[in-house]
Amino acid sequence: MNLQDVLNASTLGSIYLLFALGMALVWGTMGILNFAHGSVFMFSAFVGYLITSRIPLPLPAVVLIAMVVGAVLTLAIQYFAYQPILKKIKSVNAAELQIVVAGIGLSVIPIALAEKETLSNNFGFQGSTFQTVVYQFGDLRISNIMIIILVLGLGLGFGTAWWIAKSRQGLGLRAVGIDPEVAALMGVDRRKMALATMAFAGALAGLAGALLTYYLTALNPHSGEGLILKAFAAIILGGLGSVLGVILGSFILAFAETAVFAYTSGTWVSAVSFGLILILLVVRPQGILGKKEVRRT
Amino acid sequence: MIDFLSSYEVLIQLTLSMTLLAISLQIPLRMGVISFASVGYFAIGGYATAILVAQQGINAWAAVFLSTILGGVIAYILGLGIAHLNGLYLAMATVSFSLILSVVAVNGGSLTGGPVGLFGVIGPITTWHFLVVVAVVIFLVSFTERGKLSRRFDAIREDPQLAAAMGINVVRYRRLSFLISGAIGALSGSMATLMKSAISPESIGFGLIILALTVIIVGGQGSWVGAVLGSLFFLWMPQTIKFVGTWEPVLYGFIVAVAAVTLPGGVLAVYRNWRYRRTAAKVIAQQEARTRDLAMSGATGGGSGDGV
Repeated sequence: MNLQDVLNASTLGSIYLLFALGMALVWGTMGILNFAHGSVFMFSAFVGYLITSRIPLPLPAVVLIAMVVGAVLTLAIQYFAYQPILKKIKSVNAAELQIVVAGIGLSVIPIALAEKETLSNNFGFQGSTFQTVVYQFGDLRISNIMIIILVLGLGLGFGTAWWIAKSRQGLGLRAVGIDPEVAALMGVDRRKMALATMAFAGALAGLAGALLTYYLTALNPHSGEGLILKAFAAIILGGLGSVLGVILGSFILAFAETAVFAYTSGTWVSAVSFGLILILLVVRPQGILGKKEVRRT
Repeated sequence: MIDFLSSYEVLIQLTLSMTLLAISLQIPLRMGVISFASVGYFAIGGYATAILVAQQGINAWAAVFLSTILGGVIAYILGLGIAHLNGLYLAMATVSFSLILSVVAVNGGSLTGGPVGLFGVIGPITTWHFLVVVAVVIFLVSFTERGKLSRRFDAIREDPQLAAAMGINVVRYRRLSFLISGAIGALSGSMATLMKSAISPESIGFGLIILALTVIIVGGQGSWVGAVLGSLFFLWMPQTIKFVGTWEPVLYGFIVAVAAVTLPGGVLAVYRNWRYRRTAAKVIAQQEARTRDLAMSGATGGGSGDGV
């Protein structure tokens, strides 16, 4: 693996991180595995495409639009689907399954809408005023969008880890993750917390969607589907309930995929995340940085 | 009837194989194990049959039998490795298992036919035979839905610790659920492949997991009736909602989401609730009549025990 591969893998890892971070927060604290996260990711970028194909906007505006769309969509899903399910079903096991299925059902809708509009073709931000510039340092090629992704990915990853560990709200969030009822008794407003976390996760999905579209120059309506499983692999790799674990997991996954891509034919790449999930769950279910007491006995 | 059969034969075959796949998914679920490995078993059964029949020239029924056994054995081994996981972890481990198999199928070279898959899997098995096979499986499965066995399943699902305290070997039952699920899933894949005479990696991907799951969520998780209802609904619905045209996937997703949010036990639970309420109302009415009779007989001083 040369330096260029390391750089590319790090960029990929940052994208995985932005995507997985929101999913991990929602899952680790509220126990909701949001299967619609991939759809939200894709649809946020898709709305960006719809707008930039009419109005030429700069990158920050497109990213902001995608983040708002992601947050609003995720909030709507929480409000109309997950919250009613959690209210109706008391058994955690049964509710988990119902939430997964509702998420899958809802995730079909944005994909179908995007497919209808694009006729199943790729879409990108060709209308945006942003221009990709490639800088050359010896053999190393790095573009401005790669720098943006790396800075935002690592910055938001470590920023969130710090915030969860140090701030009062972070403490409340961790408390909800460990024992929701006691947390409520200690004055944590669970409903507000849940909505805020959901909005943050959705905004991150939108951010990841917009940045990946700029990086790859195009997405297609199904781009989000595979990412769900990759994010899952990253989360359990690092250990649920640990933000640093998500950062580690995302980068390990990205480097493993880059290595497999370099040394075998490309068709095995998708097996990397599935294989990691399976091996890890058999060998070390709590992940690398996870703690044993998190619900998974 | 014969006309109906011939014009809808493919759809009937699909419904039958989906029913088996849904039952395979239900068995672990009824013991509180969320396992999506059924699609993997389907793939194992399908590819094993295709290899045995198309490449080795083995008799089709023998291939079905061997594939079913193979599915059961692999599922049992998988169960030994991951049955200790809970909830979503097990769910995702089994999703990974299923998807790895589809990647293996793509990369399997001449054995699996690569991305194109295998063709010419032809046997003397007809749709009628398939119908009988499904009926036999349903007959066998229905034994687990009555009496002692059914109550054991419920206890393991609702409260594994309580079940263990009552003397039920929870771990053994859960492993057994993998075995049965594996055999039925592989049978489904085997028969589906013989009906279509082909199998490809495309047909065993994530889409099949989603379809099988939505079938039992909308139909109902607790009984084979739910599997049948769900399969009928999802495979015949595209025929009936053709008028919505390209909006079909949107409507599909909407139905699944609404069912998941509003009908926790599927259509079957709605019916059972309704029947339960009706019976309950009847029982209450009877009891009221009885107390009234007793009060009357007490008042007249006469007495016969016929009210009791």
